[in-house]
Amino acid sequence: MRKWLMLCALLSIIILAAACAAPADSGSDTASSSDTAAADGETSEGAVLRLGINAADLSSLDPHFASGTQDRTVVSMVFNGLVRYSPGDAPNIEPDLATAIPEPEATDDGKQVWTFELRQGVMCHAGPETEAYELTADDVVYSLQKSANPDRSAFAGEYDGMTVEKVDDYTVSITMDTPLSPVLFLPKIADYAGGFIVCSQAIEAVGDEAFKTHPVGTGPFMFESYTPQDRVVLTANPDYFRGAPKLAGVEGRYMPDISSRELGLRAGELDVIHGLDEAQWVDAISGEEGLAVDVFGVGEVATIYFNIDAEPFDKPEVRKAIAYALNRDAFLALFGPGIADNVYSPVPAQFMDGGLTKDDVDALDLEYAYDPEMARELLAEAGLADGFSFPVVSSEMNAYRKVYEAMQAQLAEVGIDMQVDVVDHSSMHSLIRDDANPVVVYVAFRPNADVYLTRFFHSDSIVVTGAKPDTNFSHYAAIDDLIDSARAETDEAAQIELWKEAQVQILEDMVAYPLMYQNQIYARSDKVDYGHPLNAIMNLNPQITEMTTIGQ
Amino acid sequence: MLRYIVRRLIFAVPTLLAVLTLVFLIVRVLPGDPAQAALGDYASEEAVTALRAKMGLDKSLAAQYMDFLVGLVRGDLGSSLITGKSVAEQIFFVLPYTLQLTAASVLVGIIFGVPLGIATALRRNSALDYFGRIFSLAGLSVPAFYLGILLLLVFSVRLNWFPVVGAGTRGDLGSILHHLVLPALTLGLIMTAYVVRMTRSAMLNILSEDYVRTARAKGLGERTVMVRHALRSAMIPIVSIVGIFAISLIGSSVMTEIVFSRPGLGKLMVGAMKQRDYTMLQSIMVIYALLIVFINLFVDLLYGLADPRVRFN
Repeated sequence: MRKWLMLCALLSIIILAAACAAPADSGSDTASSSDTAAADGETSEGAVLRLGINAADLSSLDPHFASGTQDRTVVSMVFNGLVRYSPGDAPNIEPDLATAIPEPEATDDGKQVWTFELRQGVMCHAGPETEAYELTADDVVYSLQKSANPDRSAFAGEYDGMTVEKVDDYTVSITMDTPLSPVLFLPKIADYAGGFIVCSQAIEAVGDEAFKTHPVGTGPFMFESYTPQDRVVLTANPDYFRGAPKLAGVEGRYMPDISSRELGLRAGELDVIHGLDEAQWVDAISGEEGLAVDVFGVGEVATIYFNIDAEPFDKPEVRKAIAYALNRDAFLALFGPGIADNVYSPVPAQFMDGGLTKDDVDALDLEYAYDPEMARELLAEAGLADGFSFPVVSSEMNAYRKVYEAMQAQLAEVGIDMQVDVVDHSSMHSLIRDDANPVVVYVAFRPNADVYLTRFFHSDSIVVTGAKPDTNFSHYAAIDDLIDSARAETDEAAQIELWKEAQVQILEDMVAYPLMYQNQIYARSDKVDYGHPLNAIMNLNPQITEMTTIGQ
Repeated sequence: MLRYIVRRLIFAVPTLLAVLTLVFLIVRVLPGDPAQAALGDYASEEAVTALRAKMGLDKSLAAQYMDFLVGLVRGDLGSSLITGKSVAEQIFFVLPYTLQLTAASVLVGIIFGVPLGIATALRRNSALDYFGRIFSLAGLSVPAFYLGILLLLVFSVRLNWFPVVGAGTRGDLGSILHHLVLPALTLGLIMTAYVVRMTRSAMLNILSEDYVRTARAKGLGERTVMVRHALRSAMIPIVSIVGIFAISLIGSSVMTEIVFSRPGLGKLMVGAMKQRDYTMLQSIMVIYALLIVFINLFVDLLYGLADPRVRFN
């Protein structure tokens, strides 16, 4: 008996020792104060918004490397761009660090110059090694050059042919070797991906690696602390140029499990959570007293790509047969009403210029509406009346697996046997870039029609064999001219026409079947007011700005 | 005894080396690209290529293996491919959370499991025995994440006794223990189920032994018979199952860590796996292998404590 007691005592000592070994990082952990503040349910003055983030941990808070929603969410609160997407209302663009959106000027040698005046008095947050200081043209030049450098940015390719120069402390000129329309130029300098402006002195002082977990910018919230796998804490920036935030701060908790986030919200320990993309879940949470759910864009678009170099998909009849065999509405039912909606062209007309609506494709007879009879006829025409089989890999993620499985069932109806092998997400991304799938489902949002078309349909982007292998899973090379000339077209109306023309060609050749887009789902306490509408948001999360409040 | 410990640790070295080599190869054979995972699918080709080179993934497999071993000998676990932070720093940051949870669960398992096991053995086929058996069957069948969510629903959302999110404020012992109760109960109750079964069957075996009858015949009190004679012999199988379970707890606490949003080794490993963070994965495996070696050694030493016949020469 004494020995058992000894063992128990020993285990207790281990627990206590381990509890104490987690060091109290003084000055960097404000959780206890914010916990009490929120538990008291006090007014919006001084409230800390607690956010349940769908991730086990962050990857990078350097905005030029932040590519997952979990990182973009935090980055968007700490940094600004020269211009910004109107909160909650992309793709409308308004000035941010710049005082106005200028008209571009053409130079004699065929280039294009954009000259931005900067707001004065915009303050960089204090960093670990630097005092707060005023942001100037030097920071903007430094930042955009960093975005263009593949060693220091994930989005370098977007900044080819761009030269950034300081004119004076509050003026920056950007020269484009090839003139671009505003629709293509402005997103490069907006508050998304490479467009975020970092504070050069802060990053120079700490180095790129340290900056990834201690970002310093000019936004409404300042980075305060990060606890791996646990939380990131931001505090209000009282000197924010649009006015001090109404919240005292934001605490992001890394919680990869939806049940835990939901329980945290129900227990009142979280104010906003990333939800689940199922109508049932949305209904259940909306029905709870004190809770609300927001369903908003931008939607990530699911498109099915056919590898036209792989048999039997090299025959247009086979690709068209599959298109007719698929029932868009049956796919929507997987997610439930309101969560997903149909798209009729690879560029989603609902979110950007250059896409085709249902009326457009109807008029051209390119809807490929569900018609299994037609599918069988086309298969017979291709000499495959008895059907055929082919293997694919799918990610384990819902957004992919559900689509592949529904597709499998629908194709079986017309005698096509699609064997689905489920692998983890990272494996799928590698395998499909290695041509493992003759038919690829890909779910993605891209900021404009040019990016969609270039990266999914330009011959340079063909997987494995392209000049710059990217995500052209179709091995399609028939619309390079259209894509290139659309990009170079500075007249917006003409540009949109070229984009539409490109998509008509894609549909006529049926190299890709546009399926649907899936909206974003976030739940919140009904006391939370984001301070902006939730129509379409590039970051895929409700933005928390200086206007956001938590009421009583 | 010291010599025994040293010898055991020396024997552990080839085991560790084998584990390392296997892990090193397996993570690299899997499809998946850490550079792509780190930068996301929107990243440009130039950036992915640059990062791959920076991560040293363009070097030959042999060169990467040598780098890894040389680093290890120097005590340098390298830096995470994804965040660039020191791997050792991250592991030692989360290790206390995992150890807390493991130790607390084992404690719950012993405190509930041993007495309940003894009681069910003594009152065989009584209502208590049936309760104990049904309880342990349920415990063996319920997955940790389900039990965890159930406990959260009842004790956190309904009764509001315990917090849902996180592992408490660092440095605040009260808060840490408060956050530890439900996750420790989750794993501890499951462990209790195993301990009850093992204790019950060990006790039943021993109670039918001759020396127990002799002890009773000598007129010893029931209490003395139980504690001095029966329980002491039953300890060996119980200590084994506790040891084995402690090892599997360290590995299987992943779901519990995720449900309770606690930092921990398991969660770190799953994250590293998803992102193909090779250096992180390799190092976590080193730590796991070491922990298992230590726990096994500890259990073997406990045998000596439980059974004087076991000697370490």
